[in-house]
Parts: sequence; C-alpha cells; structure tokens
Amino acid sequence: MNTTAQKNELIFSYASGNLGEAKNLFTSMYLYLNSVAAKKASVFDNILAKDFSETKGIGLKKLKFSDCIKNSNSADKKSTKPINPLANVVGELGSINWKSIYKGFKEFSIPVNDNDSVKLIKMDPGTSVPLHSHNGKEYILVLEGSFCDEYGEYNMGDIQINDQKIKHNPTSCKNHGCICLSITENDVVFFGKFGSILNLFTFVKSFFK
Amino acid sequence: MENSQIIDLIKKISENRDELAFSEIFDFIAPKINAYYLKNNLSNEQAEELTQEVMSTIWTKAELFNPDKSKFITWSFTIARNKKIDFYRKNNKNDVNEEDIRGFLYQHDKSDDYEIEYTINKITEELDQNQKKLIKMSFFEQKSHKNIAAELEIPLGTVKSRIRATLNKMQKHIQ
Repeated sequence: MNTTAQKNELIFSYASGNLGEAKNLFTSMYLYLNSVAAKKASVFDNILAKDFSETKGIGLKKLKFSDCIKNSNSADKKSTKPINPLANVVGELGSINWKSIYKGFKEFSIPVNDNDSVKLIKMDPGTSVPLHSHNGKEYILVLEGSFCDEYGEYNMGDIQINDQKIKHNPTSCKNHGCICLSITENDVVFFGKFGSILNLFTFVKSFFK
Repeated sequence: MENSQIIDLIKKISENRDELAFSEIFDFIAPKINAYYLKNNLSNEQAEELTQEVMSTIWTKAELFNPDKSKFITWSFTIARNKKIDFYRKNNKNDVNEEDIRGFLYQHDKSDDYEIEYTINKITEELDQNQKKLIKMSFFEQKSHKNIAAELEIPLGTVKSRIRATLNKMQKHIQ
C-alpha cells in the first residue's frame, strides 16, 4: 500500500545513500518538488550524522594529514547550472523524444545503470491505464498535471508506491493530462478484456530488453 | 572535541591555510570517516582512499562550511556520504555531481540543522535502544534486512515490521 512508512523508508534510504541509480534519481526529484519530503530528508540526514558523531574512530594505517593537503585540488569545479536532478539527466521535459505506446499514452525510458528501470510517462487529458497490478513495486512521481485512481488524486510532487496487493486503474486529469516519473521493479500484470494481450506484449517485450 | 573549538580550527584553515589546525581536525574526524567506510563494507584500501578525498575536500572547501547553518560533524558526514555514492556510481557522465544536487536539495528547505536538532532530540527520546540499533544497522551501516535478521537472531518479517513501526514513530515528529 501507498503508506507514509514506505515513503519515509525511501527518503531515509536516499539520505543514507544506499539507493540504486534509478531510485536515487526518482527520490532526488521527489525532494526537488516536495518541500515536506525535503525537510524529512534533512531530518534523516541529521539523524545519520548523529550516528556518525557517536562512531568510534578506527585509526588509519597509511594516510597522514599531509597527504590530504598534497592531493587537494583547488580547481574542484562548482557547477553553475540550475540544479534540477531530472533535467540534469534528460534535459527539459519539452524536448523529450516520446515513444507512443497507445493512443494518449507515451513513454521515454531513461538509461540508468541499475536493475530497476525508470521511465517518463506522458498521458493526454483523460487517458486511462487498464486495470493492473505489479509483480514488484511501482513508484510514481507526478512531475506535471495530475492523475486519479481508486485510492485518490495525485498532484505535482506527490508520489504513489504500489506493491503486489494493489490493483489500480489510473486516469490522467481531464484538463491537463500528466507527466510522471515511474520506476518498476518488475513487469506489470494486466487484467480485464485486453489483459491477456497486454501481458503477452510485456512478455515478448522482455526478450528485447 | 567541542563544536566551538572545531569552528576556530576551520576558520584558521580557511583564512590562513593553517596546516597545524588541519592536522588537529584530521586527528579528530579522519578515524571516524574511516570507521564509517569500513562499517559500510569497503576494504581498508578503499576506505583510506575515500577518507583522503573527504579530508582534501575539507581542506580546500573549508570556507564553504557555515557554522551558523550546521554542525561540523554533519557537514563532514554529508561530504563522506556523497563521496561514497560517487564511488559506487561508475558511469557518471552528468555535468552536475551528486554533491551539488544534495547540497541544493537539503538547503531547499529553509530550516537549518539547529532547528532540526530539536526534532531529532524528540525522536531520539521516543525511540528505545532496540529501535535505534535497528535504524543504525539498516541505514547507517547499510546492512540488508536479511543480515540484520541473522545478526539479531530474529525472523526477517520481524525486522521489516519493526523498521516500519520505527519509521512511523519518527514520522509523528516530522510533520
């Protein structure tokens, strides 16, 4: 279920630095758009720093303080670019080379060095995704617009975390549609009239990954 | 070492490039950084290599440390953690590095570390020893749920549910 504990676990994992590339990108974008999440990350960051301050030091075998002065590089570059974690990887949303999947539904896979796959999803106003559930977890972050499903409405900066227990039928907002960032840990399982065809399509697609 | 003493030493480094002051900071923080990397399963060699990078950053960027905004220990932990992430990220082709992104995101929220300290003290008061240990093992030492279960000799499901319960308990103070 899409619980607060799951969201906190994601934020805490981000603060501790143990997320893979896909979830790291997803969570940094979540913090970028959602100030409550950013505040939580700061709190978690400080809790970890407290653990760090209480850590008993382990003596260094070779390294001396003078080695760190010798190796310091004053030309350490500081970026001047605006920091939008996603734009840093794929550029602006307006210039994405979308691939049409079916009418009103487009996606763009973001290349990452990770087992999880991450993609951008664009839904035209009023587009629905057929009822489905997931073999693994699915993470969705709304970047623009909004969507609804059986569990509520999700606006810019909101996330939804879905596991095997959830079957849902998301529909984008009638006025604006939506653009989302999505991570799937495993392939989606479809139900209903076209379910078996879509499942077959996903199965065949897996051979070309 | 007291935070006020550290602030003096960092000032000497940023203003006068004082090597003696740096050696004192090194003796205080470098063994902790080394211990953090070793606890995160890096080899001795990797741990010393990364510790060297962190200490070099502290030497070159000492003037970026703002004592009004955060404690030195938090600032140095943040650098150490970011170096670890960059170390694991093999194909980093991006122009903006993780350190800059995180630096921005954590400041995105206007409250400073001292304000946050109040919240953290509340949380620490509320958690019992076992809960603190679980959070430390899972997030600071980055042990898998499976390894925690084996080490504490409790079922895997219990580890997962206890972590969830602890996070929920913490949540009450973060709203």
